[in-house]
Amino acid sequence: MRKCFAIVSVGLRQMLADPMYLVFTLGLPLMMTWAMSFLPKEAGIYEMASLGVLVMFVALNLITSAGSILEERQNGTWQRILTSATSYWAIMAGYFIRLFLVAATQAAILLLSGKFLFGAPWNHGYLELVVVLAIYIFAMTGLGLFLAGLLKTQGQVQAVAMAIVMIGTMLGDVFFPIENPSGVIKIIAAISPQSWAAHALRDILTLGVSLSSLVVPLLWMTGLGMLLIIAGVLRIKIEA
Amino acid sequence: MNVLDVVNVKKAFGSRQAVDGVSLSISEGEIFGLLGPNGAGKTTTLSLISGLLRPHTGTITIGGWNVVTQATKAKALLGVVPQEPALYSQLSAEANLRFWGTMNGLQTADLTNAVKHALTVVGLTDRAQERVAKYSGGMKRRLNIAAGIIHNPKLLIMDEPTVGVDPQSRNHILQTVKNLREQGTAIIYTSHYVEEVEDLCDRVTVMDQGKVISAGTVSQLLNKAGQYQELVITVNGTKATSLMQLTALPGIKEIFTINNVYKILTSNAEQVLPLTYETILAEGMQVSAIHIHKPSLESLFLKLTGRTLRDQ
Repeated sequence: MRKCFAIVSVGLRQMLADPMYLVFTLGLPLMMTWAMSFLPKEAGIYEMASLGVLVMFVALNLITSAGSILEERQNGTWQRILTSATSYWAIMAGYFIRLFLVAATQAAILLLSGKFLFGAPWNHGYLELVVVLAIYIFAMTGLGLFLAGLLKTQGQVQAVAMAIVMIGTMLGDVFFPIENPSGVIKIIAAISPQSWAAHALRDILTLGVSLSSLVVPLLWMTGLGMLLIIAGVLRIKIEA
Repeated sequence: MNVLDVVNVKKAFGSRQAVDGVSLSISEGEIFGLLGPNGAGKTTTLSLISGLLRPHTGTITIGGWNVVTQATKAKALLGVVPQEPALYSQLSAEANLRFWGTMNGLQTADLTNAVKHALTVVGLTDRAQERVAKYSGGMKRRLNIAAGIIHNPKLLIMDEPTVGVDPQSRNHILQTVKNLREQGTAIIYTSHYVEEVEDLCDRVTVMDQGKVISAGTVSQLLNKAGQYQELVITVNGTKATSLMQLTALPGIKEIFTINNVYKILTSNAEQVLPLTYETILAEGMQVSAIHIHKPSLESLFLKLTGRTLRDQ
């Protein structure tokens, strides 16, 4: 466990030392959240936009942060960790916890700033919110690890991250409702964890639905996350 | 007991046999040189020993622990100093060492003492709190060594630790290696600087195309190189006809051409030189440099393979 936390700690310190990372992870999403606060506070519209920002930036952050594994491969620190007296599973657990913590912190800051700085009219469903976000972050962390095993360069990570995030959010009925969607759009919305998460979060905040009504999205995101984590961890092991 | 035993190890990438039946062993307090040109299989061999790759056949044990099946126990005895510094540039030297110490099982007071000791060994105590990004290339290489030795490993792999460093850092690194040997650490040392290997290593293995082509103590290998000196003549363009004529000259054991360079193995370079020089001039070529080298591991490699250790 100590070794896991050492991996978490060293990674976080490396990330936080990069000002661009902070701008990208917190500055930009905070600005977007603030901009969304000027939308009319009619039920559904504001939630859709501000939660869309949250869902999109958490996804973008997680996929690009997983690219840090590639960076470590290029720097040689990844190989050096693998030659240390640490089991592969402890190493991967460290990377998973690091990614999860970063995304959870980002999501918490965006939600709390929306509520307390920018006047979001949310006053119920906090437990449901935390559960859905935790499972959404879990699924996207799995996607990040999977891509880290699959892709070879940071450039590839950036390109694929943008493609997945843009397609999943813009066409996944996250920011704005799509009327009479085509078959392709329906498929994207049915697959995209961003779409499932955004709808679940919106339903919690506007309709006050309970967790028992969210079993399908929660199961889908958990299953997808587990599948991707297993595939990613095995793939990275083979690549190593 | 040997610290490292490698027995008939093979590793292929697709149809290319990168390591082909390599066996070697290293005992405590021994510096073991691994020589060979790029693509000889050195890096793959080191990756196999450090557990980054799995051999297709054969076994590797460190301190009796199998690197594949008892990886964590074997790796606890292993330190690695990669060719390029593998460090976290945004962290201080001390933070880096604390991390690598933790990853190798050190904690609390042992970790603190090990960090202090490693910084002292590489002479970076005064700069311990500085971010690695601010370090010079030589300082990074010294810290790279500190990260490899922080847990006092029984076996240390050092892959070209002196490439591209200033003379002061180089001397410091070489002295550190000698000190580690005196403390009983077994060291695998690779370098393209043959004189470094000759000076440091107790035994040397020469690899080419995935195989061990020669092995022994430095003096045994130099004896294999024979009494031959290496006469190196740089010209403005070698010719096939002149190569045939030079080969026929008395006193020349073997001759190789590499780009614009004739490399001649001879027992008496000074005696051979005038006739060789005349022959080259008679062929209409111009000589731009002449060097005579004493028998070395480089000339042994040339003799065995017809190539130099720095060939691509």
